[in-house]
Amino acid sequence: MRVVVAADSMLIREGLARLLAEAGCEIVGTASNAAELLHHVAVANPDVAIVDIKMPPTFTDEGIAAAGEIRRRHPDVGVLVLSHHLESEYAMRLLTEVPERAGYLLKDRLVDVAVLVDALRRIVEGECVVDPTIVSRLVHRPRDLSPLDQLSEREREVLGLIAEGRSNQAISQRLFVSHKTVEAHVRQILLKLGLVESPDDHRRVLAVLTYLRANP
Amino acid sequence: MIAAVATAVCGISVGLGTLALVRHSPGGSLAGSSTLGAAALLVTGWLAITVGLGTWRRHRGNRVGALLVAAGFAWFVTEWNNPGAGSAPVFTVGLLCYTVCPPLVVHAALSYPSGRLASRVETTAVAVAYVGSLGVLGLGVALVFEPGDQGCAQCAANLVAVTGNAGLVEALNRAGVWLGVVWTVVLAVLAGWRLARSTPAARHVRLPVLVPAVAYLGAGAATYVHALDRGFLSNDELDHDLWLVQAGALVLVALGLVADRVRARRARAAVARMVVELAEAPPPGGLRDALAGALGDPELEVAYPVIDGRYVDSRGLPISAEETAGRATTALVSDDETIAVVIHRSDLLGDRRLVEEAVSAARLAFENERLHAEASAQLAELRNSQERLVAASDAERRRLERDLHDGAQQRLVGLTLATRLMRTQLEREGSTNPARWVAAAEAELRQAVDDVRKLAAGLHPAVLSDYGLAAAVRALAETGTAPVRLVKATDERFSSAAETTAFLVVAEAAKIGPVSVTIAHRDTNLVVDVDAVGAPPRLVDLEDRVGVLGGTITIESTAAGIRIRAVIPCA
Repeated sequence: MRVVVAADSMLIREGLARLLAEAGCEIVGTASNAAELLHHVAVANPDVAIVDIKMPPTFTDEGIAAAGEIRRRHPDVGVLVLSHHLESEYAMRLLTEVPERAGYLLKDRLVDVAVLVDALRRIVEGECVVDPTIVSRLVHRPRDLSPLDQLSEREREVLGLIAEGRSNQAISQRLFVSHKTVEAHVRQILLKLGLVESPDDHRRVLAVLTYLRANP
Repeated sequence: MIAAVATAVCGISVGLGTLALVRHSPGGSLAGSSTLGAAALLVTGWLAITVGLGTWRRHRGNRVGALLVAAGFAWFVTEWNNPGAGSAPVFTVGLLCYTVCPPLVVHAALSYPSGRLASRVETTAVAVAYVGSLGVLGLGVALVFEPGDQGCAQCAANLVAVTGNAGLVEALNRAGVWLGVVWTVVLAVLAGWRLARSTPAARHVRLPVLVPAVAYLGAGAATYVHALDRGFLSNDELDHDLWLVQAGALVLVALGLVADRVRARRARAAVARMVVELAEAPPPGGLRDALAGALGDPELEVAYPVIDGRYVDSRGLPISAEETAGRATTALVSDDETIAVVIHRSDLLGDRRLVEEAVSAARLAFENERLHAEASAQLAELRNSQERLVAASDAERRRLERDLHDGAQQRLVGLTLATRLMRTQLEREGSTNPARWVAAAEAELRQAVDDVRKLAAGLHPAVLSDYGLAAAVRALAETGTAPVRLVKATDERFSSAAETTAFLVVAEAAKIGPVSVTIAHRDTNLVVDVDAVGAPPRLVDLEDRVGVLGGTITIESTAAGIRIRAVIPCA
């Protein structure tokens, strides 16, 4: 897997490159700002780019803008944005801008090389990735009476996995159940929440996230 | 005084003498033998002289009065080139000046009220009018006109004739008439233009004089046009009618000047009334209205000096006390100290005494209102400084949040990565014991990352400065202990102080229990409604914050619980 790493902090940038290299990724470029990042993506033709959300000059959400720019110029390159923001707002903005082959992970995950590499692989395979902590906050946030209450424990689990961007295939492997069972669960959940089933997994992610963020 | 009386006596005799001349030889006159003609002749001339004298006495150095007196005399002289004028001097003056009345009238009207013509174009046009009348039709023709040689046997002698040349007389007469058409039309247009370009206040003053002056010029233009074929000015039926129109218009010009005097007198009466009104404790700002009414200048402003040389109005808001185009200032000074500056229409200065009278009449009220204004200005200054304090503390919190995220947290994340690499290395080398310690350090670092995040979010939510109030309230719904429902919200951005304050109101209410939030931009306010259940939260600090921004917080009971409403100005 060919990866470009962009982060303003040298320690994060180089540490990440080193970790990923040891985990078997091929690091084809490192960048400390959006311009360098775009240059490396154009030259090295990576499978995926890892982008820190905060970069010069304003250190707010340049990473999201850079991800959008990469998608516009190189639609085949996946993007993974690293962030310290738990608020789903940032993840939503990323997924609205780049709805597929995109991911949003908290920086806390960085040391879990396995999680990181898994996320990269999923993105390259065409999935979306949303940090489980963010999804869990959304699923478990305090609510009034809500349609979520109608879901069984298992259904909630599946809902969370959908929101994290997992495909039915991945969910069935993870929960050790058959593909058919997962499909039944998903149908049931979407029906209970009043969501339309979509053939694309990534559209499903956005729909579920939007639903979870909204008021019910 | 003596000069005025002498002028008046002179005017009476000239008028009566002219009437006698007209009666003696009506065929050569414009007034003719009718009573109407006689009345028009005398009333017009005498009224112009009288009003001119009055104006001249009130405003010495202002040309308008003198010009109008001259126009009154010229009105009579128009009749003096009558072949029946028995006296050679009278006939000669008549030949020289019989067409000078219109230029004098229009000169006076255009110069009103300042006494000066407004532009070089006006000056040039008026000069051309004088040249056409006095120079070409007057002196030019008179120099070459020998009455006896040119079929006017009964005419008196022309004292300035140098030679008799019928051809030249005709040519000069034609030229003068042509010129007359041109200058009357041009001046009428200029007068109309002047009126159109005046400020509303100035138009108010000029209108009664300029409109009849344009009518007068119109009749003059018609006379010249009528004379084009004939080649010289004469006194046929139409000329006679046009002369009557001119008489009427000139009377109106004179009355227009009187109207202004009446207005000024009424203004004095208004000042007197104002003094009485002010004696009965005026409300703040009432002084400005009273002065504006008394001086007839609705845009009048009163400025009070405060420390550091600034000026404020009666509400304590900053105001400029500079003179600008069309606006002049009058200062009220007491013991070398300026108490107030009145900014008013500059043409009120024609009535400087009136302005000064009004200003000094209101002195006590001014001093009183200045104290008010000063107090208001100090209050405003206090509020500004509080606003700056709030803004500064917000900025400081935001900076700390940034520093924590960009500095401490980045470092910690970097360190975690470094320890992870270290651990991998140690494990590879088989040093499992040190690797365990590094793993422990890693766990600590992750905890520290989490702590820093919480600390930073508590200082100032980044999502608030990045994406605004609605996004921040949505984010609050993910972290809070009670449900936060965003019912309706605008995604508009507001000032950082307004957004932060509104957010704190919501966050504070959400600590107590479930809330429903509505965010709207109404008129010039950011309005946040928070519906909550249970006891109202303590909002003292927030009330201070909102108060500093000039807004309000209200809490009222509803069927379901309470509604907290924060209204924060955002324009």
